[in-house]
Parts: sequence; C-alpha cells; structure tokens
Amino acid sequence: MGYERQVDSSVAPDRDPVSPPILSLSDEDLMARVAEDDERAFSELVRRFQGRVMNLITRVLNDRECSDDLAQEVFVRVFVHRRNYRRGSKFTTWLFTIAANLAKNEIRRRVRKRNWFSLDALQEILNDSAIQLADPTEGQETALQREQLQEAVGRAIATVPEKYRVALVLRDIEGFAYEEIGQMLRIPGGTVRSRINRARGMLKRKLQPLLRREGTP
Amino acid sequence: MNCGDARRLFGACWDDEITLAERDWLESHFASCAACRAEYETFARAIELVGSLPRAEVRPGLAERALARARRATAAPDRLPVGTPRWIPITATAALLAIAATMTLQWMGITPAGRMTPRTGVAAVLEPVLVRSQDARTTASTVPDDRLATVRGEADAPFAGGVPDSLFDHSADVEFILDPVTLRKGRAHTVLRLNPNVQGEKAVITF
Repeated sequence: MGYERQVDSSVAPDRDPVSPPILSLSDEDLMARVAEDDERAFSELVRRFQGRVMNLITRVLNDRECSDDLAQEVFVRVFVHRRNYRRGSKFTTWLFTIAANLAKNEIRRRVRKRNWFSLDALQEILNDSAIQLADPTEGQETALQREQLQEAVGRAIATVPEKYRVALVLRDIEGFAYEEIGQMLRIPGGTVRSRINRARGMLKRKLQPLLRREGTP
Repeated sequence: MNCGDARRLFGACWDDEITLAERDWLESHFASCAACRAEYETFARAIELVGSLPRAEVRPGLAERALARARRATAAPDRLPVGTPRWIPITATAALLAIAATMTLQWMGITPAGRMTPRTGVAAVLEPVLVRSQDARTTASTVPDDRLATVRGEADAPFAGGVPDSLFDHSADVEFILDPVTLRKGRAHTVLRLNPNVQGEKAVITF
C-alpha cells in the first residue's frame, strides 16, 4: 500500500503543467525529487549517469562481468540512501564517491579471496601483448591491433595499486577535477595530485615497451 | 633546473597547470634534451591511451533492475529482528562480579597492600623510642609519664641534626625501650613505677 502511494506521488509532479519537465532538471534537482520518492526522477538520473558509473567501475576492476552488477549496486545505494543526500552538494561528487567506494571494496574483497591476477602474471600478459603488437604483419594499425592495445592498457591500469588506480581513472578517464576527486576519496588535493602523478608514472613504465614498439616504423 | 626538475613538471604540464615561465623553460629544455622530450612523449601517449579507451557498454534496463533491488533493500531492514550483541550481558556480569569481590575484600579488611602496611594501633605500641643509655635510663625510670615525652625530646635533640642517625653506630650507649617493656641487651625488663612512699605487699580498697 505504502509503495503504491509512493509511485503515485512520483508520477504526479511530471504531470503538473507548472513544474518543469524532468529532462530539463539539473542533477541536483532530480536528486531532490528522488529524495521525495520520485521514481521517474531516479530513472532519469540512472539514464544520465549509468555509462560513466559503468565505465569507472569497469576501468578500475578490468572486469566487465562484475561491473554491471556493481554499477547496479551503486544506483541501488543512491535510492536506498536518497535521504542522506545533502541538498546543495554536487550530485556527481556524491554518486562517484559511492561508485569509487564500491569499486575499492570489490578490489579488496578480491585480494582477500586471492581470486585476482598476480602482478607478475599481468606483466607477462602485458609483455605478450607488446610482442604481438611489435610484430605487425602489416604496417597499418588494424582494428585487431587496436583492440589488443586497449586490452593491454586496461590490464596495465589494473596493475596499478588500488589507491592510485581509482584516482587515475577518475582523473584521466572520467575527467574530474582534482578538488572533486579529493572530496570523493576524502583526501586532500595535494594527495590527489601526488597519487595521480605516481599512477601516471607507473602506467608509463608499464606501457613503455608497448609504446616504443608502437612508435617504431 | 635539470632533467629531474623537468620530469617533475610533466604531470602539471599535461594538466595545463604550469605557469607560462615554466612552460617556456620546459620547452627550451626539450629542445636541448632529447631524452626528456622522448620521456614526455611516452608519458603523454600513455595518458592519451588511458583516456581514449572505449566506454563500457551498459546492459539495458539498469534503472528498472536497480529500482527493483532498491525496493527489496529498503523493505528488508524492517523485517529483520534487532538482536542484542552477546558480549553485553557477559561484560555486565563480569563487571558486577568484580565489583562484588572488591567490596567483599574491603569488608573483610583485606587489601592488596595489607601485608606491607601495619595497622596504626599496632604501630603505636611497637614504635621504638631512642634514649640515652646511662642518664636517660635512670631518668626514664623515675620521671612520670607526662614528663617522659620531654625527656625523650631532649634525648633526641642531638640526633635531630642534619646528619641521619642511621649513619652512626649507637649500639654502645643507646637502648630501645618498648612501652611498657624495656629491652636491654637482648632481655626484656618491666618498667616499675612504684611510689617510694608505699610499702607492703597488699592494699585494701574500701568504698
């Protein structure tokens, strides 16, 4: 009974001719509606951010199968904790804080279960990819090579330690500002910069053999 | 500035967070240092590759699935019984037993330091008093009790100076008198305080 009432109240604002259409609302306004049990606003928020959340988790975990479930879990938490969202704060910061925390928890869970590639194994895979790319049958980059390169980069990201990796993905893939990343990870801006610099340095060293051969004519 | 300084600026340069002067210096350094230039190109290419990775695809219906799970997750806590943690009664019982044991021991007069500290009543009886062996001995036997304290005070006066008494051997001229028994050369003597005017062995008391 209670739930049916929630659904009715969520539908009502969009039918109201005075209120603005849901598509034109800002993320923060949508979240304010979600806090009032508006499920259509929630669906719109999911539609807007599902790709970015999915991408963040996929790049941090390097596991597409698990990423779908985890992305779903992110939005479940958004809805369950909808009344904890503080009005006036930026919605993306809150959303990606949840996503980053869930991704980090998943990494730690995997490390505990030892169901994760060892760094050496990943390095071997990476070297294999580099060798394959270094010996192209044709001079031009084919779609297969590009795919292999992307896979190798994804694996290289996965070898970066977790605390650097999350910051790196938030910055260099999702394009967040350092200050925002600091808020999401609850660390100072200087620490964010240092983590991202270290992650970039690690990534460069891991990708160096691959990039050198790629650049060889 | 050297190559190390230049490489420290790579990240800020990529993020476009360096000053114009730093950028000019970095470019002039690249012109003269091929190694740093190659290093920066590798660095920039690595970040480009990370940024150009294809976006992960989302399976359709994510919003509906999330909403369905959220409804279940929201409803679940109401049905779960809130259990009391098991450590609370155990800790409370242990604390009560400890308090009861402490109170019982105190009531029985047993304290942890009880064996080390004598009771005050016993200390008053056993406390030794220093007197002069020759003069003070006779004085102590003839002077009444109310004067004895004064005599004792006079006898103690020379020893009350700055030097601790325990540094000297007073065994030759000092004896310990325990009230009401006097110790002299290892034997106990009862202090007799008889009035010299009283004679006879019996006394009759009438009311």
